[in-house]
Amino acid sequence: MSAAATQPRRSRVIDDKSLSLEHHRSLWQDAARRFRRNWLAVGGLFVVVVFLILAVIGPHIAPYDFLEQNIVNAFQGPSAAHFLGTDDLGRDVFSRMLHGARTAALVAFLSTTISLAIGILVGAWSGIHGGRMDELLMWISDLIQAMPGLLLVILINTTLRRPIINWFDTLYEQTKNPFYLNTLWLDYVLVFSALALIAWPGLARLVRGQVLSINEEDYVLAARALGGSQWHIMLRHVIPNALGPLVVAVTASMGGAVTMEAGLSFLGIGVQPPNASWGSILEEGRRYWQIFPHLILIPAVTIGVIQVAFVFLGDGLNDALDPRRNS
Amino acid sequence: MASFLFIRLMRWSVGLLLILFVTYAMMFYGAGDPIRMMFIQGEDFDSEDEVVMLALRKKYGLDEPFLVQFSNYLNNLAQGDWGRSIRLQVDRPVLEIVQFRLPISMQLGFAATVIGAATGIALGIIASLYHNRWLDRLIVSTVLFINGIPTFVILPVLMLLLVLQLKVIDVPYGWNGLLHIDAVLPVTVISIGILPIVVRQTRSAMLEVKSQLYVRTARAKGMSESRIILRHMLRPVLTPVVTTLGLIMIGLINGSLFVEYILNIPGFGLLTIEGIKKVDYPIIMSVAVVGTLIIFVSNFLVDIVYPILDPRVRAQ
Repeated sequence: MSAAATQPRRSRVIDDKSLSLEHHRSLWQDAARRFRRNWLAVGGLFVVVVFLILAVIGPHIAPYDFLEQNIVNAFQGPSAAHFLGTDDLGRDVFSRMLHGARTAALVAFLSTTISLAIGILVGAWSGIHGGRMDELLMWISDLIQAMPGLLLVILINTTLRRPIINWFDTLYEQTKNPFYLNTLWLDYVLVFSALALIAWPGLARLVRGQVLSINEEDYVLAARALGGSQWHIMLRHVIPNALGPLVVAVTASMGGAVTMEAGLSFLGIGVQPPNASWGSILEEGRRYWQIFPHLILIPAVTIGVIQVAFVFLGDGLNDALDPRRNS
Repeated sequence: MASFLFIRLMRWSVGLLLILFVTYAMMFYGAGDPIRMMFIQGEDFDSEDEVVMLALRKKYGLDEPFLVQFSNYLNNLAQGDWGRSIRLQVDRPVLEIVQFRLPISMQLGFAATVIGAATGIALGIIASLYHNRWLDRLIVSTVLFINGIPTFVILPVLMLLLVLQLKVIDVPYGWNGLLHIDAVLPVTVISIGILPIVVRQTRSAMLEVKSQLYVRTARAKGMSESRIILRHMLRPVLTPVVTTLGLIMIGLINGSLFVEYILNIPGFGLLTIEGIKKVDYPIIMSVAVVGTLIIFVSNFLVDIVYPILDPRVRAQ
């Protein structure tokens, strides 16, 4: 065999980066590679990122104040002055949709953060200590998970409104800070606390399961034998291992919160008019749906696109972060 | 087995009591006094009249302390007295309202379950037979897509499409019986809500069963493919699908809330929203009772039916 024939084959083997140790990829790099290959998930990520950016900068780029009424201009179709037309009170729909993005993102972010905090605390405590308290906590979270979330949220939202109004009133009396008279904030507080109260059980179950399964691993036994405290094991081993499933759960929870917020506001129970939420814009547009269909098409398509984006993103993350799935 | 069911029953009963207690406490301490609200909102009375308010409170037993009120409520409930509506349909017995409203939602839910389950099982089986080919991918991503879109978006958009653009149906409004053309849209939309649950469960169960040895044996014997599916695969596939009954019920309740609200169908979902908006204690309590019972009974049914369907569970 000639030297020329063997030469290229050998160099190809050496050049193959996947085989050389220096180019060994980490678990997260692997996940990112798998994620990039799933174009539906990448599209979902793109939409979600655009949504979050618009939620942050939206009110600054909005051409009008979202509350500014101009009855003369009511029910205009899309035009140069009003990019998405105007509603029944002559308010600019584009500006209202931008404000709705802020409402949705804020509610989703805060409710997910709170439920994540409760979920991690309860789940970790249950998984580490076990016993009667663990049984009780898990029974309660089973109960909450078995119930229809929407019913619970409606109930919590209605019953919390009055006590929180009273609380804000007393705070205003004490501090004379006009912040406490702002009912726009009140709606947000109500909706995200109600959503957090129903969302934590799923996350708590997840964390508890991870704690229990990882506690069985030999390296945790080794860490314990070397004198590692429960907290050390928690921070060093359990949380890094649970990060993948938690990222997936948090994505799903944020998407769910956006739907729930829109749904509640649609039913007239969540964010109240004149404050803007995609749900309330849809509900207001519904009154004129036969004559001005664009008033419901705009919020409906927006909610639909965001939801589908969250679902595809969550699905892609789930596939990418589970190393057992694609190997 | 019996003791397992008994423990389950006890857990659910305690759960029911807990949920009723929490709901009542939230109403009592949070929602505010419905009698005062009658006056404040100026719908029923013009000015605040303390004497009338006291008399009304006494009439509905709202002047008692919380624990007395709650135990009175439980006592009455046990005797079949669900209280009287305070504001929604003034002084009408709640049981009567529930008896009128619940069957409408149940008909909608039943029709939606039949359609959703039949379509979902068929789609799940087809997807699994074409595993990882384009038909499977199409079904899976369509279901994922549908799963993302909430009911209150699907229904208005469908109405725009079918009523305004295609002019296939008239504007559906109210309730004219399940067989009326107006019931088509609500049933379709509610069944779309439960379709993804069924498809996903059927598909993954089918994929698991497909590789079983007895399926290979059946095929080796020369049995036709349709006979293998119907005789040997369907039963082990349907067993896990049955366990999603609790999820399906949640889907039905969520769906009927929005669908009834949008189309103004006087079912239980609309009653829920009306009762909550009017802070009508007995109505809200009846929603809690019925909603919790539906969920618990369906979960309990799964516990009973599962060992009957799956002999492996019975053996344990």
